[in-house]
Amino acid sequence: MSADFLYILEVILNGLMAGVMYSLVALGFVLIFKASGIFNYAQGVMALFAAMTLVGIQTGQIPFAHLINAIFGTEMHHFGWQVPAFLAIILTVGVMVLFAMIVEKYILHHLVNQEPIILFMATIGLAYFMEGFGDIMWGSDIKTMDVGIPSGGSLWLEEYTLGWAAEGERYWGMYIDKLDMVATLVAVILVVSLTLFSQYTKTGRALRAVADDHQAALSVGISLRAIWVIVWSIAGFVALVAGIMWGAKSGVQFSLSLIALKALPVLMLGGFTSIPGAIIGGLIIGVGEKLFEFAIGPMIGGATENWFAYVLALMFLVFRPQGLFGEKIIERV
Amino acid sequence: MSIQNTTADQQGQPEVLLDLKNISLSFGGVKAITDISFDIYEGEVRAIIGPNGAGKSSMLNVINGFYHPQEGEIWFDGKQRTGMKPYEIAYQGIARTFQNIALFKGMSVLDNLMTGRFTHMNKNLFWQALWKGPAEQEEIINREFVEHIIDFLEIQAIRKTPVGRLPYGLQKRVELGRALAAQPKLLLLDEPMAGMNVEEKEDMCRFILDVNDTFGTTIALIEHDMGVVMDISDRVVVLDYGRKIGDGDPTAVRNDQTVIDAYLGVSH
Repeated sequence: MSADFLYILEVILNGLMAGVMYSLVALGFVLIFKASGIFNYAQGVMALFAAMTLVGIQTGQIPFAHLINAIFGTEMHHFGWQVPAFLAIILTVGVMVLFAMIVEKYILHHLVNQEPIILFMATIGLAYFMEGFGDIMWGSDIKTMDVGIPSGGSLWLEEYTLGWAAEGERYWGMYIDKLDMVATLVAVILVVSLTLFSQYTKTGRALRAVADDHQAALSVGISLRAIWVIVWSIAGFVALVAGIMWGAKSGVQFSLSLIALKALPVLMLGGFTSIPGAIIGGLIIGVGEKLFEFAIGPMIGGATENWFAYVLALMFLVFRPQGLFGEKIIERV
Repeated sequence: MSIQNTTADQQGQPEVLLDLKNISLSFGGVKAITDISFDIYEGEVRAIIGPNGAGKSSMLNVINGFYHPQEGEIWFDGKQRTGMKPYEIAYQGIARTFQNIALFKGMSVLDNLMTGRFTHMNKNLFWQALWKGPAEQEEIINREFVEHIIDFLEIQAIRKTPVGRLPYGLQKRVELGRALAAQPKLLLLDEPMAGMNVEEKEDMCRFILDVNDTFGTTIALIEHDMGVVMDISDRVVVLDYGRKIGDGDPTAVRNDQTVIDAYLGVSH
């Protein structure tokens, strides 16, 4: 094989895995949009908040330490213990469920039957509130996420692929981050289990039922409030997974909340209502932007990844306004 | 199959399943229902008729808990109901169909019917997520019940079809199936035959009577087709402009002068 071909293959593989990371975020949007028709602007901040909480619990940080110290003149920051990663993750899931309950009780419940734009506004408010709240609770410093996920390039793969190039060519083997491989595996497990859950359990059916018809769902005994809490909890869990992966990759800091912007083109492309759409959309965006950066980027000064995803999504929108997998909109006269 | 076996005592005084006392309902200043009282006996087919805008659907929505009347009392199964939410009323044993079909369009016929079993499945999220064990058991038992309903309604051939793709008449039948799957004490049907051709109407009539006969389910239905109403109902209540203008067995109602005037219009 020629080295050029191998380079392109490497770009595609890395693109696919970057795409999985985008899909992880997009998934949270789709879940909430499907069940309640709300475009949850706060999904990115939820990922940040979940990641901060996880790190905070794990390292034994005292929540609201800054506030407590300011009021009581004390000087405490840590409980002085370390919580095992596994336990910390479970506790963080608990926090996200609690968060879902609070959002339902104090925001969604009062906005039932309002226009979608009102609900959207509410989630914008929620996003900025949570951003500040997260800072107060855990501090605004950059934290490192360490839950034991391996990172760095896979040496084994590098050595294994080294022999693939033709004799005498300059090739040093394929570089793929171990973290990306783990993320891909986790995303696959997540999507498969979510799909199975929604297909074959009572609650899964209720989730789909609510997505289809509120009145009918009520009439068979489904409580919309309970379903919303469940949906936001699942979205919170997905945010936590995204937060762990992105946090481990680039540190837990404010910029983590901006990954939501990476999910937007994925949603435009895959449609707001389709879980497979979020996955395929993410993969197309990931591969598309990496290939473009690789092939065209050097000619126009690079840094194309910031905007190319949107161009790609816009091109798809022109031909399929409902997204790749979105339900086709048919207006009958 | 035993869905419900509480047939009315034919000889003695029939038992009242649902009793509505002096119900009034208004939206803002608009009165939809004014001081209506009637009851539904256990095991009967009770029709609610009236011209368009008479308040029939509002009445059904009151029974179903979608609307809360400003005045009046609702007694169901011997207990007075106060401020219950629609999903709680489903747990009490009231199921319904809608005037404009309200199925879960993206789901298969089977899944729609399984959703109808919602109130009979109580294993919590933990077991459901685990899947193996109690949740699976529960799923199998309820699935079996749903298969009986599918046999009963003769929709075996379309079990796995997404309901959105089915023709109108079949969708109506699936909706009836979803309501039946809940094993209701009281079944509310909002225009079950609207928009159907003669053949489909006959089928639907047969199913309604079969449900009433074999399972003893109490049925309240709204229908515009007078022929159908006179044929299948035990008692009829007539509404006009949100008031009750007639109540009794079909022949009595048919010959009632007020009812005839309401339907044909009367010159003053």
